Amino acid sequence: MFSTELLVQTLIAGVMIGVLYALMALGITFIYSIVKMINWAMGEFYMIGSFAQYLLVVFLLGPDFWWVAVPIAALSVFLIGALLEPILIKPMFRQALERKDEYATVVTIALLLLLRNLATGIAGPNQFTPGSNLGVVMLGPLPVTGARFAAFLCTLAALTLFYILLKKTWWGLALRAAAQSRIGAQTSGVDILRLDQIAFGVGVGLAGLAGALLAPEFQVYPTNGVVTTVKGFEIIVIGGLGSIPGALIAGVMLGVVESLGAAFIASPYQNVYGFLLVLVVLLIKPTGLFGERVRQA
Amino acid sequence: MVALLETTDLSKRFGGLLANDAVNLSVAEGEIRGLIGPNGAGKTTLANLITGIYPPSSGEIRMRGQSLLGLAPHEIAAQGLLRTFQVCRIFGNLSVRENLLLPYLTGTGDIAEGKRLAEEFLALTTLDRLADEPAKRLSGGQRALLQVAAGFMVPELRCYVLDEPFAGINPVIKDAIVELILTANKSRGVTFVIVSHEMAVMRKLCHKVTVLIEGRVVTEGTLDEVAAKREVVAAYLGKAWT
Amino acid sequence: MKPFTRALGSIAMLALAGLTGSAQAADDTVKIGLEIPLSPPGDPAAGQLIRRGAELAVEYVNTVMKGVAGGKKIELVVQDSQGKTDVGVAAYRKLATEDKVIGVTGFFHSSVNIAVNEVAKEIGVPTIATQTSAADITAKRYEPAFRTHAIDPIRVETFLEFTKKMGYKRISLVAETTDYGIGIAEEMEKQNKEAKAGLELQKITFDHAATDLTAQLLQVKAFKPDLVINIGVGAPVDLIIDQATTVGLLPTTPMLVSYDAPERPQFWKLHEKNGVGIYFIAYYSPKQKLSDIGEWMAKAYKEKYGENAIYSSLNGFGDVMILAQAADMAKSTDPKAIIKALESGTFKTWAAAPVTFPDAPGVYYHNWSPPILILHYTKPNEDWQTAEIIVEHVGVKH
Repeated sequence: MFSTELLVQTLIAGVMIGVLYALMALGITFIYSIVKMINWAMGEFYMIGSFAQYLLVVFLLGPDFWWVAVPIAALSVFLIGALLEPILIKPMFRQALERKDEYATVVTIALLLLLRNLATGIAGPNQFTPGSNLGVVMLGPLPVTGARFAAFLCTLAALTLFYILLKKTWWGLALRAAAQSRIGAQTSGVDILRLDQIAFGVGVGLAGLAGALLAPEFQVYPTNGVVTTVKGFEIIVIGGLGSIPGALIAGVMLGVVESLGAAFIASPYQNVYGFLLVLVVLLIKPTGLFGERVRQA
Repeated sequence: MVALLETTDLSKRFGGLLANDAVNLSVAEGEIRGLIGPNGAGKTTLANLITGIYPPSSGEIRMRGQSLLGLAPHEIAAQGLLRTFQVCRIFGNLSVRENLLLPYLTGTGDIAEGKRLAEEFLALTTLDRLADEPAKRLSGGQRALLQVAAGFMVPELRCYVLDEPFAGINPVIKDAIVELILTANKSRGVTFVIVSHEMAVMRKLCHKVTVLIEGRVVTEGTLDEVAAKREVVAAYLGKAWT
Repeated sequence: MKPFTRALGSIAMLALAGLTGSAQAADDTVKIGLEIPLSPPGDPAAGQLIRRGAELAVEYVNTVMKGVAGGKKIELVVQDSQGKTDVGVAAYRKLATEDKVIGVTGFFHSSVNIAVNEVAKEIGVPTIATQTSAADITAKRYEPAFRTHAIDPIRVETFLEFTKKMGYKRISLVAETTDYGIGIAEEMEKQNKEAKAGLELQKITFDHAATDLTAQLLQVKAFKPDLVINIGVGAPVDLIIDQATTVGLLPTTPMLVSYDAPERPQFWKLHEKNGVGIYFIAYYSPKQKLSDIGEWMAKAYKEKYGENAIYSSLNGFGDVMILAQAADMAKSTDPKAIIKALESGTFKTWAAAPVTFPDAPGVYYHNWSPPILILHYTKPNEDWQTAEIIVEHVGVKH
């Protein structure tokens, strides 16, 4: 079935979901660019953010104060990340380890299992939702839940804020310098281990923010982070590791391609279109659309 | 008088290679010390040990009598001991101005003062019209200049280790760097340790040079004194010459 | 300790923590395997419900019946299939060869059940499908394969009876790409043709792992259907309801959920605002008459869990009861003897109607189906037990 209205609706839906996926990708890419490791437990921090949002809204604030809950949820995840980093990640740099990448992989996968089992043990197998009192919004011809539209706007705001902080503040300057050269930044006087802790906290905090924002849309349960993590990694490959505009643009591309593919080609392969996009980008530009070859001096 | 920077029996072993072998170096406050020697003599290793990039295998490093052992690079930087790298470590994605601001901001200085200082150095290095460009657009020489200038942005700078600051750089920029060094030495009393092969520049700058051959200190003195020594000539020109 | 070793250590600890302690049993017990989804991507809520029923059956056999085959106690050995075929097959192998169970039941995901039956065909320990409806589970006519659940053809007959009764002509099938989803969608197309029902069908399929189904539901909306049939299992059921509400399908276009998911207590927590008007398949309503063991089970369940038993638990109970009765009949724990008993005997389950596993043609081979109901929620927070019964379909006797 095809009509112009349907095409426009599908495109808008794709852009919306793409921006939301980009938030997840941003966390992964940010941690990688500073700490030089892939955090495989990212989806679990998304899950924690969604549970925090659920608990805050249902037991404390009520659905009308979701916007109070969101920053608290994200901040809690930031704190959890900042507390875990010195225990789990810092040993990777303090001691002369030969296989840093393997270490990071092992440690974050262990963390993934731990957090997921803990969540299943505590929360049980059921799904939850914080609920939302926001009405449906019309975006042109497309009806969108108030919750999803709010999540979309909050994500854009968060991305903008993140970008400004990175460009305008001293911490941002130090983070950008460290992203380029850890040793260079250190000899310029930057305390890189401290920076790692903050970067890890902020990165998982972004995942937590995504979890909190999407909780009313995609439900709350112990494995709800899996899909967003996969999308996050796809976006990073498409957009290029370490690039913030890359994450946003690739997120939108992924969302649009999946939506159009599901609507007009064949719906069962929704998750396949994204991987096809990944393959095409890898063939044309292996570093991703906005990625740069890393030069280690 | 206690030397500003002092190493005692400093050694560094990489597997079977003894890169630094019991190096004793003593640099006085306000001195400009040259560090010369053939390729592979261990000059860069020594710079890395002093600035905390590598931990030494044995020996001691002191600045004003305080040990630097076990300190992280940023902690050593906080004590006013900075360095540049042979392979230029400027931040290509940051603007030229940001490259200058970064080392200043890691200190405790006032931000407005840092910005003013950055403008001063931009003018001094004639990089001002490129101030907002990403530093990766700069030529090789301009990068080297920027790297040296960035160190001067640290208000607490006491001792500056420059690793091959003049390698492959055109004479105009070379003069600009020399000018920066001499000014900082005179006006702020900054102490320098300069690793270089450029004998003409070293003669102009250094009060004293230390010659390092195969990881060991062979001799010290003015450039002309050490250049007269047989073993130095031999090391530079090959053993067959002697 | 080096960090790397420390990390390995923490993984080992996690692995240990994840193991469900399987109790060592004495030799004189009769072991029954229960293979259920207890973690995602399976549907853990369903697995837990089936387990509750199965455990009550063990209680019934060991206390009321005083054991089977000359006073032997029965014992459950539980395995988590995770809803994955590979995990499910490994679990069956363990149950059959290490634990030496007399039969394996509890199956909830058709894909797992089908894959397990391929192995059961070789190993020979019988399986009883508790809540899996794909045709292939019995249609392949494997000797160890049995089922006590609504099968696709009977379920789809129920759909057709419903559309006829309501006068719906344009039907959208929103089906997940699993054996269950595809099986039902295809059966619907087949029966529509064979029965000349004259329905206009739209088939939209989606990946079970997808969370955003907006694109698919926009297609559904553009089709302007009279009825949407929600053929998802687990989280997708709820995502479809929510996202269909957003694009404006619900509440104006009626939706039929293809199994009894809306009976779960969490349904009204998730769909406080958009649950009214939902039609759903059910296999049991308290208005039905139960057997004597069914009455015992319903009462014991209520006492133990403070809520009324639903079909998943009832059928989990019934299937363990059937295996226990077969062991009693066979006076043996040999899988071959158990199969023979299942084929020839008549068994009590929770429902009033007795269970037999006839050597019937096609999908009806070794199959017994409970009656299928379609219920309708008409007010918020309505209890499924008081929900209006729209259709009560009794499967054709073969």
